[in-house]
Amino acid sequence: MPVGLPADMEESNPADEFIPAGLAALGIAVDEVDLAVMAAAHQVFWPAIRGLLSLDTAEVEPEPCPDLSRAP
Amino acid sequence: MNPLDLSLRGQAEAVAAGDVDPAELLDAALARVEQRNPALNAVVDTFPERSREMLDAAPAGPLRGVPIVIKDEWPLPWRAQRFGAAELFEPTAPGESGPYRALRDAGAVIVGVGNMHEMGAGSTGNVSVYGPAHNPWDTNRCPGGSSSGPAAAAAARIVAGAVGADGLGSVRIPAAYCGLTGLKPTFGRSTIEGHHMAPVTRTIVSGPLCADAADCRLLGSVLAGEELRAGETSGLRIGIVRDAVSEDVTAEVREACEAAIESLCEATGGEVREVSLPDLDAATIAGILIINGEGLNGVTPERLNRMHPDISPLNRGLAKYRMLLPAAATVQAGRVRTLMRRRLASLFEEIDVIAWPTLPAPAPPLDAPLVELPSGTLTADQANVRGTALANLTGVPGISVPVGLSSTGLPLGLQLQAAWGRDELLLDAAEALERANDRRWVDSRPPLAEVEQTEA
Repeated sequence: MPVGLPADMEESNPADEFIPAGLAALGIAVDEVDLAVMAAAHQVFWPAIRGLLSLDTAEVEPEPCPDLSRAP
Repeated sequence: MNPLDLSLRGQAEAVAAGDVDPAELLDAALARVEQRNPALNAVVDTFPERSREMLDAAPAGPLRGVPIVIKDEWPLPWRAQRFGAAELFEPTAPGESGPYRALRDAGAVIVGVGNMHEMGAGSTGNVSVYGPAHNPWDTNRCPGGSSSGPAAAAAARIVAGAVGADGLGSVRIPAAYCGLTGLKPTFGRSTIEGHHMAPVTRTIVSGPLCADAADCRLLGSVLAGEELRAGETSGLRIGIVRDAVSEDVTAEVREACEAAIESLCEATGGEVREVSLPDLDAATIAGILIINGEGLNGVTPERLNRMHPDISPLNRGLAKYRMLLPAAATVQAGRVRTLMRRRLASLFEEIDVIAWPTLPAPAPPLDAPLVELPSGTLTADQANVRGTALANLTGVPGISVPVGLSSTGLPLGLQLQAAWGRDELLLDAAEALERANDRRWVDSRPPLAEVEQTEA
């Protein structure tokens, strides 16, 4: 998963609540370093994920069991 | 001349003709590891006795007696892969991976294991349990990843060919940074047997890293278990896409790639067509989400809570963050995969190859892997996958070909992508491009790998 850290990091963002709460709900222990990394990753990923989710794919008929070795 | 300065096919031919003693070739490769690797950290393990056993048992295959470096992603009978990490989430053990068997059956000699970016989770090669690998063109620069060691070893001519793995660009990215030719075969065409993600992945392939396309054809054929036959490339229809992938790049990258596309067009009597391929940003995040989902196989909260303390802070955090990625986005990623596969299938009825820069900028410093692009400063990881993820998402083959050097002496790469199963066409096109520029870039070597004229 190539991601790295963003070149410019915001001081705070919604990840401050979402990430620790989500991980706590899953029983995953975190420390401050983990949270800093995840906040940075969140800044990279989340806008792209929101963009992906906003894409209208209603007309895309699912490809059942796609065979990646050949054209659909 | 040191026989290691021959091409991969040259070494194979010299051994087959009896002009080079393969035992001496192996010794020369081990000597090169001693000589050149300290500055590179490209090769993280050697096993001379195992290598000699491979040589003693080598059949008269197409690579008989030729030394090869293999990425730390593939198990060997005497060594489990470490994936560049202190530990993996799944148990690993020594074994006969597909690439090992392919190399063994071709008569090749595995001389060492190549470094890699920790857990394959980066495109720079600056994070690894073994320490960072270094770029032979400038040892303060990233060699690229995640197949960092194989690329650095081949670029430094420790070996003439190396085997990597590519899940989001991990062969093509280090090929571009290190001035090599790197092939990401069509999904399923090259062996991935024995890879710890083989049962679940639809993105990862094994692939060759070599100086030029003919050597990639030879090593790629071995990995594919079939000959990737050479053919003609007359009238090549080259598609270019006006998007960030080709425009949010440095001026030097843009100029080198545009010149290469023009040369390829002229050399093949072809044509360049501007084509539309929308939603590349969505394709990139879709590829990232899908391979991250594959990487979650077998991961549990309990397992994450027991992570080895020597896993890097970056990967510790990312491993946990993956657990929060929304399922809806993963489902959407699958739909985008279908969308892009259909668009590509349609596009490849009009054109033969898509050409765009492999990477937007040359190799960044190891200690600050950032790139300055027209859109601003990005991490290399953010920028690099924009051009490479599509091939893994959709399954099509891609090749990175060296097309120039930056003003700071760093290699630049052009990527060509073709329809499923047309790996041979990519190799043919890469060879046509080499001929068109008189092999200027594929024969360029970093200063530490200049041809040795006096070495025995």
